[in-house]
Amino acid sequence: MKFIEIANLRKVYRKGSVKIPALRGVSLEVERGEFISIVGRSGSGKSTLLNLVGGLDTATSGSIVVDGTDLAGMDRSGLARHRRHTVGMVFQSFNLISHRSALENVMLALTFGGVPRGERRPRATNLLRRVGLGRRLDHNPSELSGGEAQRVALARALANGPDALLLDEPTGNLDSSTAREIIDLIAGLNRDAGLTAIMVTHEQALAREVSSRIVELLDGRVVGSGEEGRAS
Amino acid sequence: MNLLDMVELGFDNLRRTKLRTALTTLGVIIGIGALTSMVSFGTGMQKNITETFEENDLFTSLFVTAADVEEMAEADPDRVREMMEEVPEPLTDETLEDIRGVGGVELAFPELRFPVRIQVNGSETRTMLRALPASMGAYKPFSETAYGRFYDDDESNEVVVRWQTLERMGILVEEEPSGAAGRDTTGKTRSVHPDSILGTEIVVISSTLDVSRIPTNPLEAFSLVRDIPVKEIETRLTIGGIMKRSAAFGSNAWNAGLLIPMETGKRIPSLGFSSIWEILRRQRRGDAYASIYVRVGDVRNVEAARDSIESMGLSVFSIADQLEDIKKGFMIMDAVLGAVGTIALVVAALGIINTMVMSILERRREIGVMKAIGGSENDIKMIFVVEAGAIGFVGALLGLLLGWVVTKIANFVANSYLLPDDAPFINFFHFPAWLILGAVAFSVVVSLAAGLYPAVQAARVDPVTALRHD
Repeated sequence: MKFIEIANLRKVYRKGSVKIPALRGVSLEVERGEFISIVGRSGSGKSTLLNLVGGLDTATSGSIVVDGTDLAGMDRSGLARHRRHTVGMVFQSFNLISHRSALENVMLALTFGGVPRGERRPRATNLLRRVGLGRRLDHNPSELSGGEAQRVALARALANGPDALLLDEPTGNLDSSTAREIIDLIAGLNRDAGLTAIMVTHEQALAREVSSRIVELLDGRVVGSGEEGRAS
Repeated sequence: MNLLDMVELGFDNLRRTKLRTALTTLGVIIGIGALTSMVSFGTGMQKNITETFEENDLFTSLFVTAADVEEMAEADPDRVREMMEEVPEPLTDETLEDIRGVGGVELAFPELRFPVRIQVNGSETRTMLRALPASMGAYKPFSETAYGRFYDDDESNEVVVRWQTLERMGILVEEEPSGAAGRDTTGKTRSVHPDSILGTEIVVISSTLDVSRIPTNPLEAFSLVRDIPVKEIETRLTIGGIMKRSAAFGSNAWNAGLLIPMETGKRIPSLGFSSIWEILRRQRRGDAYASIYVRVGDVRNVEAARDSIESMGLSVFSIADQLEDIKKGFMIMDAVLGAVGTIALVVAALGIINTMVMSILERRREIGVMKAIGGSENDIKMIFVVEAGAIGFVGALLGLLLGWVVTKIANFVANSYLLPDDAPFINFFHFPAWLILGAVAFSVVVSLAAGLYPAVQAARVDPVTALRHD
């Protein structure tokens, strides 16, 4: 069985009486340990797909089976558990909590993850060291560069030991050299820790270099999928 | 996430918006302050009254009269005359003996009370004299003389004077006399040691009708208008004890400046009436008493003794009966005051709702992040509920402090300016444990209820829209 099986996934947003279809029947299978990049124009449904896999949103129809469990059958607390333990999400705009230090941002995820109080600080410190931020533990997001902030977000996503990283344009707000560092870091986590990675990105060149597969979306449908990444 | 985590996260958010939190909490502080100070006034009054009853041993006291005086006072004059005829036997020594024979009755003695002038060391004042049997010395408040002792013989010449009466005469009795001799030269107040006043002679001047001057010729009767035939009689007694006003509240049931032994009191000639009813009664029988005081040994026997005395055709009045009515009155007052305080707290609760709704609008993104990293709806709801509860809890503690300070000030003002100088300090407010704990619990519950709606709103925040990059 595949790690993630997406079948005929549809998502329709409603604005008043107007229906806006974001996904029109997406099917996709992801193996455990794969690094998939999802590319496509703005509005093609990339982020929607990622949010559905991440359990932030619910599909209109179709199914997403992750590790044998269908997200469609989960209640809200089940989805919260899914977000807490199965996936770790990283966003373009980092989404760190601004009044908390790097360490506290990571510790908050551990708090929700039910990690005992005494273990949170050492675990968060280790996670930040792992992403190369061992010396910036007590800095607030405003005192960090974009690359550093995204490292904190990565450490936070890894906090509760997820099986998969869901990355929504993780390099979108970074300059090219910093973007490179972040992509390398993600690729390293995918390769060394065996973490499944699904990354939404605009940067096709970068995607081609690191991912095992690229999936292209257009108007809510998969239009291209191939093993054209690093594996080939 | 455990409770400690929720408290930590809740307080963390409150710390960030210090001014807003402080203002919202201030609303709760004022609400709880108003509520507790108002209710504490009601409980304070109730406590004072109950204590006065206890101090004067009123729960075991009965007052026996021959007829229902109140009923007579309300009737029209013709009816009163009829009633006077109907009055069965006035209270006499025989009645007294009968009452003493009633089961449970420990003590019964007639009311003997009349105004006199007294002189001590050349100073003079007017006061009320009351004769009490020596056996009353065993009970409060007579068992607690400030200086000296209560007389132990009904024929004794020793009397007990009220401290405040002496003070009014310019004699300030103190263990450590202040100002020593210097002050008596001013002629106002001199401070004396109790030892030097105990044993001092006290002259009691009472008035009585001068029978020899009552005109026999009806034509001379007009002279009565100008010159009432009263003569003054001096009785020389000794100060044996000094009592301070012990009851903390209200007028003392035993209010009199001078207490003297029963038989000694009977020997002092006086006009001897304290009301018009007594004069009317005395027309019928000279040795009649206005009322008889009855003391029952045990509170449990009060009802039985009362029934027995009533079956003798006498009226029995017990102040303890009224305590229940008084208590009911105070409960109503408490409820009204409490309702006013509750309104203040409800306004404060609206403040909490407002603050939290605003806070959720500002923190939408943060709530979205919390959800994205695994916070469940319940976690987020609880963080906000705890925040509201914290405002309620802290507000209640500070509100109690505010209420306490306000009541201290009110107490000081009332005692300094509203009460007579010789009145002992009265604590008008009382904070029993149930009020303190109840106020905290009430505040927390109201605040939690106020936080519930915003908390549910927070939990429903859609993470996708909250996180959509700007």
